[in-house]
Amino acid sequence: MKIKGIFKDGQIFWHILMFILILISVCPILFAFTGSVKTLEDLYNGGFFPREIIFDNFKRIAAAVPIVRITLNTFIIAACVTAFKVITSTLAAYAFVYFDFRGKQIIYFILISTIFIPFTVTMIPNYLTISKLGLVDKIFGVMLPQLADASGIFLIRQAMRAVPKPLTEIAHLDGISELRILKDIIIPVTRPAIISTGIIFFINSWNEYVWPTLILRSNENFTLSLAMQVFTDSEGGVEYTMTMAMAVITMILPIALYLIFQRYIMSTFASSGIKG
Amino acid sequence: MKRNSSSAGRFIPRNSGIKPWLFILPAALVFAVFMFYPLIYTVYLSFFDWNMIKPVKEFVGLQNYFDIFKDPNIGKIFGNTLIYIILLLIFDFIAPYIFSFILSFVIKMGKNFYRSVIFLPSVISLVVGTMLFVWILNPISGPAAKLMGLFGLTAPVWSTTQGLVIVIISIMTSWKIFGYNFIVALSGMGGVPLEVIEAARMDDIPLHRIFLNIVVPMSSSTGIYVLILSIVQGMQQVFTPINMITQGGPDYGSTNLIYNVYNEAFGFYKTGTASAYAILMLLLFGVLLFLEFKYVEKGVYYEN
Repeated sequence: MKIKGIFKDGQIFWHILMFILILISVCPILFAFTGSVKTLEDLYNGGFFPREIIFDNFKRIAAAVPIVRITLNTFIIAACVTAFKVITSTLAAYAFVYFDFRGKQIIYFILISTIFIPFTVTMIPNYLTISKLGLVDKIFGVMLPQLADASGIFLIRQAMRAVPKPLTEIAHLDGISELRILKDIIIPVTRPAIISTGIIFFINSWNEYVWPTLILRSNENFTLSLAMQVFTDSEGGVEYTMTMAMAVITMILPIALYLIFQRYIMSTFASSGIKG
Repeated sequence: MKRNSSSAGRFIPRNSGIKPWLFILPAALVFAVFMFYPLIYTVYLSFFDWNMIKPVKEFVGLQNYFDIFKDPNIGKIFGNTLIYIILLLIFDFIAPYIFSFILSFVIKMGKNFYRSVIFLPSVISLVVGTMLFVWILNPISGPAAKLMGLFGLTAPVWSTTQGLVIVIISIMTSWKIFGYNFIVALSGMGGVPLEVIEAARMDDIPLHRIFLNIVVPMSSSTGIYVLILSIVQGMQQVFTPINMITQGGPDYGSTNLIYNVYNEAFGFYKTGTASAYAILMLLLFGVLLFLEFKYVEKGVYYEN
């Protein structure tokens, strides 16, 4: 019955359409995985699958750039940025949901509006600030401007608003402090949203390109996205097999995180579309 | 979701003096130093002639803005920006909207599978995506060239072909942001009652009519959100492939407002012109922000 369903009412046509879409989404990723273990000759002349699996490309990357250090840089930046963004967003979201104060609406509006400020508007002054602080070519210079995030405040606020209010009112009557209420009542209840917001921050920071390009100069301070270019703008054109290996190194962690936390990430991303 | 605050009933948030400000302070501090101060400083810089190094900034009034309109490449920069916006709207607003309709109401099996796979590229760096497309589309040995060869066609050198270069860069960018917009559109369609669609299908109303006359109006606030997202996110994301492959070339053929700000600032060290361009871009996004708050936040549509 179920198998027949595909062929009923022209369903097969729609499945073919979806299949093409999936092919476009996934093909580049599959090319990267197969290409990363091919020889250059095999990549140019061979078929889809490698004739022989070799790890030479990864070894050559390790010889050309300090890849462990670069991976570590990327991880440290992403982890710190994520930790700070989650903390600052959670605190701010708590204030917007559980307190009433003058100018609350307008302050929330102003903070959320920053989502619409393109990076080009803040890029020059931020670069000047970071260089004045002597943080050019330092991973700390990449982190510093991104320790808070408007979309994080938005997403976590959405989750907190769904928590029944009487829960906190009773705690207040008992004279429990705000930080304890946040830590012991609100955070445990909104944990799924906070975790997935954090994962989204981590993946975005891991993948970031524009700001690190401006700040980081030397190979040993690079992040993975920047290291990719080491193999591409060498004058002889692109070193494709090494580029593929570099692509695999760069995307393996985000893909793994996505596969593990898929359900969380999906529901949080979806809720960002439903405005409240 | 919209009525959360009112559905909370008798609850009245407490007015607790300084406490809420302490909670907002950490985030506000970061925003003040790295968002609002730079915003004001960019406006300030747009009235001065400077190169980031000279000790003195020379006040030139509105001259930087007038200079923009004397720039011989102004036509290309604004024209390309418009083409990028149109392409991004096709790939990342119209296409995901239609596909999320198909997945929500037409297809009956494998929904979760399709959804998961389509979202996958969204978690991958656009730097990676760009390089993979550079391989796929390279005219000598790339898979696309081989495929075209089967039909006796030669693959063009896209990165130096006027017009085509913008299309390809938009496709690379869309590869990354399609999935996210798709998921958001899908969630908007979740608000359309299935019975309405089933009733319409019973009456043999053609699919395109169901889409245009029922689903679009009933999910329009999410629709506008996706539309704005396509432009705001898309225009910023196209920076990556442009900077990696063409640097705005050939002959300003792939540049746009966003890339030009970067080029003026960090290519020519003209902070005044760069800032003036940045402010123009900000005004464009400001109009979108206005639309967002007018139509999306207030939810004036039928969506609930």
